[in-house]
Amino acid sequence: MRVKRSDIVQNKYLLIGGILTGLFILVALLGQIWTPYSVTQMDPLSTNLAPCLAHPMGTDNFGRDVLSRVMNGCGTTLWVALATVLIGGIVGTVIGALTGYFGGWLDTVLMRICDIILSFPSVLLALLFISLLGTGTDNMILALGILFIPSFARIVRGEVMRCLELDFVRSAKVMGVRPLRLIFVHILPNTLVSLLTTAAIAFNNAVLAEASMSYLGLGLQPPLPSLGRMLSEAQGYLLTAPWYAIAPGVVIVLIILGFSMLSEGLRNWRP
Amino acid sequence: MKRAFAVEHLSIAFQDKNEPLQTVVSDVSFSIGLGKGKSEIVGVVGESGSGKSMTALAAMGLLKDNARVLQGAIWLEEQNLLSLNAKELSRVQGSEMSMIFQEPMTSLNPLMRIGEQVGESLFLHPGHGAKLSKKEIRRQVLKALEEVGLENAERVYRQFPHELSGGQRQRVMIAQAMINQPKLLIADEPTTALDVMVQEQILELLRRLHREKGVSILFISHDLAVIEKICSRVLVMYQGQIVEEGAVSQVLHHPKHEYTRTLVERFPRFIAPPRSKQNVLTLRDVSVFYRERKAERSGAQRREIVHHANLEIREGEILGLVGESGSGKSTLAKAIVGLNPQYEGEILMQPDLQPQMVFQDPFGSLNPAHTIGWILSEPLRIIGIKSAKERKERVLQMLENMGLSKDFYNRYARELSGGQRQRVSIGAALLRDSKLLVADEPVSALDVTVQSQILQLLLEVHRQNGLSILFISHDLNLVRHICHRVAVMYQGEIVEIGDAQEIYRSPKHPYTRRLLQVENMNL
Amino acid sequence: MQYIVKKIITLIITLLLITLLTFTAFAVIPSDAAQARLGTEATPQQVEALREEMGLNDPVLQRYGNWLTGALQGDFGQSYQYDGVQVSDMLAERLPTTALLAGLSFLLILVISLPLGILCARFRGSFLDGLITQLTQITMAIPSFFLGILLTYIFGLVLRLFQPGAFVAPTENLGQSLYYLLFPALAVAIPKIAMVVKFLRGAILGEIQLDYVRTARSKGNREGRVLYVHVLRNAFLPVLTFLALIIADIMAGSIVVEQVFSVPGIGRLLITAISGRDYPVVQAVVTYITVIVLGVNFLVDMLYPLIDPRMRSAYAGPSRRQL
Repeated sequence: MRVKRSDIVQNKYLLIGGILTGLFILVALLGQIWTPYSVTQMDPLSTNLAPCLAHPMGTDNFGRDVLSRVMNGCGTTLWVALATVLIGGIVGTVIGALTGYFGGWLDTVLMRICDIILSFPSVLLALLFISLLGTGTDNMILALGILFIPSFARIVRGEVMRCLELDFVRSAKVMGVRPLRLIFVHILPNTLVSLLTTAAIAFNNAVLAEASMSYLGLGLQPPLPSLGRMLSEAQGYLLTAPWYAIAPGVVIVLIILGFSMLSEGLRNWRP
Repeated sequence: MKRAFAVEHLSIAFQDKNEPLQTVVSDVSFSIGLGKGKSEIVGVVGESGSGKSMTALAAMGLLKDNARVLQGAIWLEEQNLLSLNAKELSRVQGSEMSMIFQEPMTSLNPLMRIGEQVGESLFLHPGHGAKLSKKEIRRQVLKALEEVGLENAERVYRQFPHELSGGQRQRVMIAQAMINQPKLLIADEPTTALDVMVQEQILELLRRLHREKGVSILFISHDLAVIEKICSRVLVMYQGQIVEEGAVSQVLHHPKHEYTRTLVERFPRFIAPPRSKQNVLTLRDVSVFYRERKAERSGAQRREIVHHANLEIREGEILGLVGESGSGKSTLAKAIVGLNPQYEGEILMQPDLQPQMVFQDPFGSLNPAHTIGWILSEPLRIIGIKSAKERKERVLQMLENMGLSKDFYNRYARELSGGQRQRVSIGAALLRDSKLLVADEPVSALDVTVQSQILQLLLEVHRQNGLSILFISHDLNLVRHICHRVAVMYQGEIVEIGDAQEIYRSPKHPYTRRLLQVENMNL
Repeated sequence: MQYIVKKIITLIITLLLITLLTFTAFAVIPSDAAQARLGTEATPQQVEALREEMGLNDPVLQRYGNWLTGALQGDFGQSYQYDGVQVSDMLAERLPTTALLAGLSFLLILVISLPLGILCARFRGSFLDGLITQLTQITMAIPSFFLGILLTYIFGLVLRLFQPGAFVAPTENLGQSLYYLLFPALAVAIPKIAMVVKFLRGAILGEIQLDYVRTARSKGNREGRVLYVHVLRNAFLPVLTFLALIIADIMAGSIVVEQVFSVPGIGRLLITAISGRDYPVVQAVVTYITVIVLGVNFLVDMLYPLIDPRMRSAYAGPSRRQL
């Protein structure tokens, strides 16, 4: 699909969402190779410093630089979000496309399961998975990845079924196009916009879930920084060092805002 | 005192965000007599986008937010509707003038009972300021429902819209439009979404209301044949302007403007005779079934749509298949091209026939995610042409044959007009080496001028390639002009089949006779 | 009637399936409950004896059967973590708090978002509409636990309107309890309010473009009456389904927010149970949440035909629609 530059500029949501998301990815990648200070190095002489030139976001109760930890924490968030959306997106798309096209009892059963999973909030189910698999980033990725399968499968299935009623698919069938080619070459490209929208929403949910789980102490284990864990640590020092809580919190809000505006923009985007 | 509805120098434009002003109605003036002795039915004919509906919506105060009246006045007797404020306008809407619309299926509130909806018109306009009692409203609503020919008005009163048929819903719309005895009724394509038989009933009802109640009707349609049946005077609109005006018979028999002429003479004059008497396709005792996707799972009973059809198509023949919607003609077509495997009986065809289909809605029939070039290359990939260069050459050649320029190769379907899309569809069928084209209402979604171009193209393809065509349509007039033989379907059965001229001269089946009667009522 | 029976049967089957699934999942994971309870120093004989006593050696289905029989009588077994404590007692102790928090959140959502959504749609395109739309976009992006921390900081520490951590149980003093819960309820509700406002506004605006609304206008309905008499009821149908999702979201949101405000509710119970691998407790909480979520969906299914006549006839038997 062709994208005109004027389309993006006119669609403010897409523009702002794109900028925020781009910034987030840049910072997350940068945080993996370079941070102003060491992420784990403690400095007992400069604990709970207010934001200043040397430490733009201040320092925490161990004297670690908050900015450095936020930058590095963004990396964890990005990795978890990317991995979960990829797992959910790929598996969900394939399941949705095949069940949508072929139908049958398997479709009925799978969709019923999807409906049930979707009626529960993802954080809740992720908690359940974690209690089964144990804490840790990998388990969280697996749990969230599996939980995102239904939303992708539902969307793709719906789009495939919608397309099956359209004349261009009928005409391809009459022409003699084989089912798999019909699904993946003729139909799937038409679901791109809804897929991207769903992906943006899934990113949004993944960031939120990762932050919630680390906040509850069920995600990434210390001493490595993650945004949610920083918030829970900061809560004990709210009165003395409010910036320690505000910095990672605002960053989480900006990341989620970026993805939600992106999904909003994509939804209104008619190429 | 002026006793007329008069539009004076009306111009309307669209203003979309960041886009230049687009004029859709320019300097339109006309008038319609109102009241005893002066009331009349005036038709407005024109294709989509000609500004006919826009004029009507402006009069009713129903223009969308992005439409703007640039100049002009719309007089309903002494008051200029365009200068009224919202409150004043709402007093006129639905009482002194009212409107009915094209889509009866969606024009009623799905959550409100019919009685309540019709009664609302009374409730909003209580005669001389006195509020009507509930009982009185109910009495008048029942009377109104009876007057529009709804049987069992008591029952309809309690029903919801989804429990009624399209024709019944349109009657309800008319009842609620007429209940306050308006001077003017605006009817915007009121019969377009209905079947031929129902169309005729609704037209008859409008004629009767005009005669008995003296209501003037502004009747908007794209279909000259319908206008002819009901109107005394007609305005022809083209690109936002009135290009011709006069008595219906005058305009019809002596059209002055070029557009009106294409409207009147839309049928090609010559069709090549069939090549041979050999059958390319034979249906023997074919019954076609329909199963809903959901029902498929629960194993519910399938429904027989087409009953024991027998039919043959000869080489190089154009066979017309007519019938109203729901008669089973599309279902039969789908069985022939292999889209519906749920049939019993025999479908015998020449091994290299490759029947292909051209669909009614040009906007759904081309894949929106791929370029025209890719779409046209697909049949070549299927027949096994591996060389990309050869494919491109043949596609470019086909574009030319279809009357499209080469730069369509890289365009997307959304950039094409309806007519251009139908050209691409026909081209794709030919590239698949099809010897039989199943055309399901291929022109009924197109404007009249474009219709005749696509018909010309079909006939040309038929002549040059010796193509057989199964032409499915609800439009008897059209079928009569371009088909060699005609098959008539009614409630899933082929009730009559024979030479086109023969059938029109002496129809045998009562249904065919009724269809023809309706068609020819005022010709 | 047939419709209701069908829905009830589906509800029961789904409930059974979910509990069976979670029960099996907890039963097959490698960590051994008996071992965990006795510690690493216990002899294999001791562990085996306890396994036998706890019924861990029975087939999974039989254990599920026992659990289900107990659960139906309100007995969810004993906690692994706290010796000899009945799970049902732990649940009963925390239930009022969580129910109060969830109820308060839902009330806040309804009372604030419905009028706001209608207001936005009524004055669509105005400055007010634009402002609220932008605000909802931003508030939707704030996670409730961060919002909770902000509220704690501003109202608890700076303005000193409440003392963080000093929660009073509803059984002790309902008024004080409600006052404290107002802040966590706000943290749960604010992002959801934004979602509902946005959804409702979208539903109304989608509805306003439909043909029947044009018909209503052509009859002489003024803008307000068009909205209140014709559009709102239609627009509310999808909102109903959305509200069911919101209730499920409130449950999830309150788990985390209870943690932020140190409110001893079901959510905190779940978190400690998960960390401590106290499976009977986790199983009981999961069952409780499942009942709520499925129950709410069931309620919506029951309400739908009451509002939408098309559903009524669709389920009354074969469709009577005439073509």
